[in-house]
Amino acid sequence: MKPSRIPLVTTCIVLAFFYLPIAALVAKSFNSSRFSPEWKGFTLKWYSRLFERDDILAALVNSLKVAVIAASASMLLGTCAAFALHRYKSRLQDAHRVMVNVPLVLPDILMGMSLLLLFIAAGVSLSLATVTIAHVTFCLSYVTLVVLARLQDFDPNIVEAARDLGATRFQAFRKITLPILFPGVLAGGLLAFTLSIDDYVVTFFVKGPGSDTLPTLVYSMIKKSKELPVINALSTLMLLFTFLLVFASQRLTRPVNR
Amino acid sequence: MKRRHFIATSSAALAAGFLPSCSGKSAKPKLTVFTWADYLSDEAKAAFEKAHGCEVVIDTFDSNEAMIAKIESGATGYDILVPSSYAVKQLESKGLLQPLDHTKLPNLGNIDKTYLTHALDPEMKISAPYMMAPTCVAYLKSKVPDAEPTWGLFSRADVKGRATLLDDMREVLGAALKNLGHSLNSTDPAQLEAAAALAIEWKTNIAKFENEQYKSGIASGEFHLVHGYAGDLIAVQAENGDIEIVIPKEGASFPCDDLCIPKSAKNADLAHAFINHLCDAEVAAENMEWIGYRAPNTAAYKSLTEDFRGSPILFPPDEVFSKCEPIGYLGDKLPLWTAAWEKVKNA
Amino acid sequence: MKSRKPELLATAPSFLWLALFVFVPVAIIFAIAFRPALPAGGIGEGWSLEAIRSLKDPIYPSLLLRTVTISFVTTALCLALALPVAWHLAKLPPKWRSRILILIIIPFWTNFVIRVFSWQQILHAEGAIANGLRSIGLLGDSDRLLGNSAAVIIVSVYTYLPFAILPIFAAAEKFDFALLDAARDLGAKPFRAFRSVFLPGIRQGLVTAILIVFIPMLGSYVIPDMVGGTDSQMLGNKIAQRNFNDRNLPQAAALSCALTLLVLAPMLLRRKEKAG
Repeated sequence: MKPSRIPLVTTCIVLAFFYLPIAALVAKSFNSSRFSPEWKGFTLKWYSRLFERDDILAALVNSLKVAVIAASASMLLGTCAAFALHRYKSRLQDAHRVMVNVPLVLPDILMGMSLLLLFIAAGVSLSLATVTIAHVTFCLSYVTLVVLARLQDFDPNIVEAARDLGATRFQAFRKITLPILFPGVLAGGLLAFTLSIDDYVVTFFVKGPGSDTLPTLVYSMIKKSKELPVINALSTLMLLFTFLLVFASQRLTRPVNR
Repeated sequence: MKRRHFIATSSAALAAGFLPSCSGKSAKPKLTVFTWADYLSDEAKAAFEKAHGCEVVIDTFDSNEAMIAKIESGATGYDILVPSSYAVKQLESKGLLQPLDHTKLPNLGNIDKTYLTHALDPEMKISAPYMMAPTCVAYLKSKVPDAEPTWGLFSRADVKGRATLLDDMREVLGAALKNLGHSLNSTDPAQLEAAAALAIEWKTNIAKFENEQYKSGIASGEFHLVHGYAGDLIAVQAENGDIEIVIPKEGASFPCDDLCIPKSAKNADLAHAFINHLCDAEVAAENMEWIGYRAPNTAAYKSLTEDFRGSPILFPPDEVFSKCEPIGYLGDKLPLWTAAWEKVKNA
Repeated sequence: MKSRKPELLATAPSFLWLALFVFVPVAIIFAIAFRPALPAGGIGEGWSLEAIRSLKDPIYPSLLLRTVTISFVTTALCLALALPVAWHLAKLPPKWRSRILILIIIPFWTNFVIRVFSWQQILHAEGAIANGLRSIGLLGDSDRLLGNSAAVIIVSVYTYLPFAILPIFAAAEKFDFALLDAARDLGAKPFRAFRSVFLPGIRQGLVTAILIVFIPMLGSYVIPDMVGGTDSQMLGNKIAQRNFNDRNLPQAAALSCALTLLVLAPMLLRRKEKAG
């Protein structure tokens, strides 16, 4: 029986859907018009202006720093949490589960303001560190849920069997549990990175001087800047860079023996 | 296996790249400024940094309300704040600002005295005016024929579904109040009631309340009539000759953003020097042309280009300017306004 | 009795982190909801039920209904699109799988607001799509594509779809597709096999996808703000209005707590059912 075409077709449609505004975004970065979407002539001025803007480049670096650390930390914490939630059933886990779900429900504004109040009460000065803490907090929930999805039907007896055969708890984790978890952890990490790099509301409240991230700077630029296409140029470059990175990693990890 | 190895090495490389920048680098004093984005010309910033051997660190916000919410919650670390005048009053009422030491600010003499008569802080006790621009109306000449410069444009049938108003309580209710002949800072319940009714009428006519996309909207022709900030609209007009900008004859708001120093500022002296620097005639002239707003600085007016100085929007004739008002501080009367706005939003 | 040490060890890191950075802030919000609001903005001294009482405002039920409807439709669409995509991804050879996965995620590393601006550009009233729809009579001359709930849904689906794809993919990737062949051998039609074998097999992935799309959507305010019209206000917009415009933090807090409890209640009740 022929396999259905629906999955392939849907994937193509979805990819086209995802890239449609990206195409518009890239086109705008070469459009000499500042505000209007109409094509007014090709230009590279937004790109050259981008490199003069230290503040945008600094914000980009801040965003990347925070996203990488937040994604890594939440991958660690989230995997532990998912493992605990899956493996154990107890009152502690019930409370644990509720706590994991709360950041999802809480509107950004209130989460941002309450974290600000917490930091002020604790006398912690606002900086990139407080931003990172906030990001880990909401990323944690997402990673936990994604890894949990992966753990469904994971049979703890396999681990028991391995331990009966002499493996230490850690060896069993490394050789059995981790490989199964890994794609889920990676998916969760990707999700966390994506969330972190685009977060605005929470970041606004907990950032300090000099810790402007890309989203907070862009939101402010939208109000008063007359060179917004500079951000389009930046986004285009980031896309290009990511594509090259992925392409390079694919080449480098090609299996040697064929 | 190879992939893991690659991920491990590249993450190590990335991490190594980040670490050096974590350590504190310069021993230069830092002046931290909390302001709008793109609100200080590169030249003005660089000149100050050179003259005082310091670094100006800018943190941005996108609305007065967000900034107030953060500062009132207790956030510190800023030496200069650049809120709108009514926000300055709000911060002052909570005791969050420190008075300006005029002995350190000789350039304050340059400030436009006519403007000061309208200002919320005429003696510049806690703030110095920075940049101002009226909120005005822009329309496409080809789509809105025979347009009079009045707020009544928003009631016209031919703009139905293609007009926008700012999503701002003070601006929209203020415009309605002006249209009805009252002050845009009125706290009279009857007047507010009438203004809310007018605003609701407008609401049924417009496409949406919009704070940013009115710029590209009118440039592209999606909107035919918009309510927006002069600084931006003037820049958009440069791209589309069909756009006409007017200040309604009943008067509009002419808000001003001010420089002030929070109580918790660590570098009050440097902050004062910064304010003085920005009030210098040459610096103010270059800065205002770069930003596209008007600095109420009489001494600077002389150095402006003819084009800029002749703008009827930034430098309106007296009969129009006299009808314009800055956005004032509502204080305890805020709930009257928020209730009226709630009615408009829920209608 | 089995030692609880392994459980405590596994639970401790996330539990402690969440306790400090989620539980304490939520407690703060809860407390704020019971404080009076100052007319000029800010929180007053003492306690008051004013903010809680304001929840009885007749505007809220219709607002909630609209918010829930839009979130529900968005979630349904996301699932409908994510399932085939995750299926396809799971069946691809590993090399292609990671490539397509990265391709799916990369657009979301550009700035969110700029992406929505791009959507506004694409969907704007004088653009190619609008004119195209006009030429086949589906759109009125002065109608706009934006400024309504449909635009909010389209842009929301765009924003949340990758969040739906990732967890379903994570679950589908370890699904044994041979089970489907077996089901077909036993005479099941393809759709029946999909419904009764595949879906339960990725059950947890589906649940996660629903959770991470529907719940955050309930509180979203940026998208309805940017592409919605005058009647597309959602609950999140109201909370933002209370917080920034009205400077009424207690009411904003009360609304948020109400929303949080509303969403958590089904979860807590389910737990009680399972246990009891």
